[in-house]
Amino acid sequence: MQPTATIRRLKAAGAPPRLSAFAQWADRHFKWLLVAPAVLLILALSIYPLLFSLVVSFINYDFQVPGHAFVGLKNFERVVFDPVARWSLLLTAWLSGISVAIEFVLGLLVALTMVRSFPGRGVIMSILIVPLFISPVIVGQAWTLLLQRPFGPTNYILTQLLGQEVTIGWMTERPWLYISLIIADVWQWTPFMFVILLAGLTAIPPNLYEAAELDGVNAWQAFWAITLPHLGPMMLLALTFRLLDAIRMFDTIFIMTGGGPGTQTYTASYYLYTVGFTQFHLSQATAGSWLFLIFTALIVTLLVRRLLKVEPV
Amino acid sequence: MAEVRITGLHKRYGAFHAVRGIDLHIPDGEFTVLVGPSGCGKSTLLRTIAGLEESSQGTIEIGGEVVNDFRPRDRDVAMVFQDYALYPHMSVAKNIGFGLKARKMPKPEVEVRVAEAARMLGITPLLGRFPRQLSGGQRQRVAIGRAIVRNPLIFLFDEPLSNLDAQLRDEMRGEIKRLHQDIATTMIYVTHDQIEAMTLADRIVLMRDGLIEQQGAPLELFEHPASTFVAGFLGSPRMSFLPGNLALDGSAAAIRLADALLPLAPGRGLKGVADGQQVLLGLRPEHLTRAHTATPEQGTFRYEATIDLLQPTGSRSYATFRLAGAPVMAELQAHDVSRPGEKLAIDINMNRASIFDATTERAI
Repeated sequence: MQPTATIRRLKAAGAPPRLSAFAQWADRHFKWLLVAPAVLLILALSIYPLLFSLVVSFINYDFQVPGHAFVGLKNFERVVFDPVARWSLLLTAWLSGISVAIEFVLGLLVALTMVRSFPGRGVIMSILIVPLFISPVIVGQAWTLLLQRPFGPTNYILTQLLGQEVTIGWMTERPWLYISLIIADVWQWTPFMFVILLAGLTAIPPNLYEAAELDGVNAWQAFWAITLPHLGPMMLLALTFRLLDAIRMFDTIFIMTGGGPGTQTYTASYYLYTVGFTQFHLSQATAGSWLFLIFTALIVTLLVRRLLKVEPV
Repeated sequence: MAEVRITGLHKRYGAFHAVRGIDLHIPDGEFTVLVGPSGCGKSTLLRTIAGLEESSQGTIEIGGEVVNDFRPRDRDVAMVFQDYALYPHMSVAKNIGFGLKARKMPKPEVEVRVAEAARMLGITPLLGRFPRQLSGGQRQRVAIGRAIVRNPLIFLFDEPLSNLDAQLRDEMRGEIKRLHQDIATTMIYVTHDQIEAMTLADRIVLMRDGLIEQQGAPLELFEHPASTFVAGFLGSPRMSFLPGNLALDGSAAAIRLADALLPLAPGRGLKGVADGQQVLLGLRPEHLTRAHTATPEQGTFRYEATIDLLQPTGSRSYATFRLAGAPVMAELQAHDVSRPGEKLAIDINMNRASIFDATTERAI
């Protein structure tokens, strides 16, 4: 028989050291001291500005009108009855909706192609996700150079391909300026969709497809019966992230069209920026921001609630 | 219903040679179990039969037709996977019927077949539920339903019970056996669990390193293992192996273990052996009993053992002792032995003992 090991008792730790009254107080409150910097930062940089902006939206705070008189809902009224504001909100919805839809379809197609392994997959994958690493400002600038008349090569290439003179004002004519903005957004953000959807696709057990193949199920039926239901949560996640990002669309517009011609490419963010920081109607811009925040919050709530409700398969 | 004939089958993954030349004939309606340790090529063999893997060499015939170039769907085989592989957003009824629907069977007939399969498996009340609402055992029943509803030529099972807990596994094992008795279709079943292999199989094909080590009826493999590998793989607790030497004296043969001489039955056919040859004596726990008679019976060897490890299971007690320096386990009645250190007369049934060549590890 092996000798059994005995459990060795630890030496008694003894009573905790006695602390002075101050030391006891410090000991109890030390945790507050530790979180204080973070709390102060949040209070100063988030909570205070938020509350202050709420105040500002009900008073006059305009560089062109002196005084800070209480004006009730007047600031909100100005935004609601401003046709440019309504247009910008509509445009935000349209642009982000269309861009995200295209990005989703393209991203899914690319992901479905890339989920199989083939020679050179790694290299292609790296190239595909490069746009994600580029600042939106640079992306806007690059597309401007590519599209803008008369220097951009796009019209020239189209002319050669189609065999007839193409003279599209990509940054000035409707609907081309919207198409330009969508192209830039799609170019930059399709890889995002692709990466998330690819992650979702690789997580689907290959057995399911094998079982379906033995069942005599064709590729299209397998897509509906296996791929979609398994990819559902990932799709929703990708769409939510992208949509929340897209409705803040600002930088590419700032670079590519500057909101113009006129106010034709004003998105909500661009509108608020212009009203607040170029016209200095700060209280109107603040009221507009609150309205936009409410719209955004509605969408976020809907999407996130749906996202949280997804059941595991 | 169909027979399966595999000839000279090889499967290579790059440099890795997973299946290294398999010849196997499975008669119509037989329940064949491919068993072996992980990495022995049994799953690869099964997947190659299904067509999910392409063979590197050799032919596979199902029902007299060479199917090497057939797609899996055209081989008319059904397979049950370890992780069930159900369609997540379809009800149980749709899961079972989807294969038929995909093959354009008219809807009323699909419904009749699904109802019949559900009845056989006792899952009729679950038909409206979704896979996520089912337990593991219920899911596996649905997966089996999906296979039987198609009435395929052969059934393939790839470790179907490995994800279930022990009790459910026993239950499902019985059901699969009953299913085979009811529908009598050719079934090929892969498992690493020797109990499953023993209980289910008409024939066990024991694989090792991509080759068939031995095949035959379960009891044949159990009682006449061709090698120490087979002997050690089948049976739990496993067979004890004792190194010794053959002692031949005219027609009488015995095995010498250190200073003990264990006589072998005179009728035992020993061929191509030499006196003094190094051998391994294989003893299963059930070949050893506590001595109940004054003198040992014909063909048994009595040994005064000192028990040094005791493992009671309730109905039986497994007692380990040393014989010529090597540990041997005996399966005794629960009350035959009460504590380690006890001295006990053990009768070893030499008629049932296996003898292997010590170098080739093949049976003599």
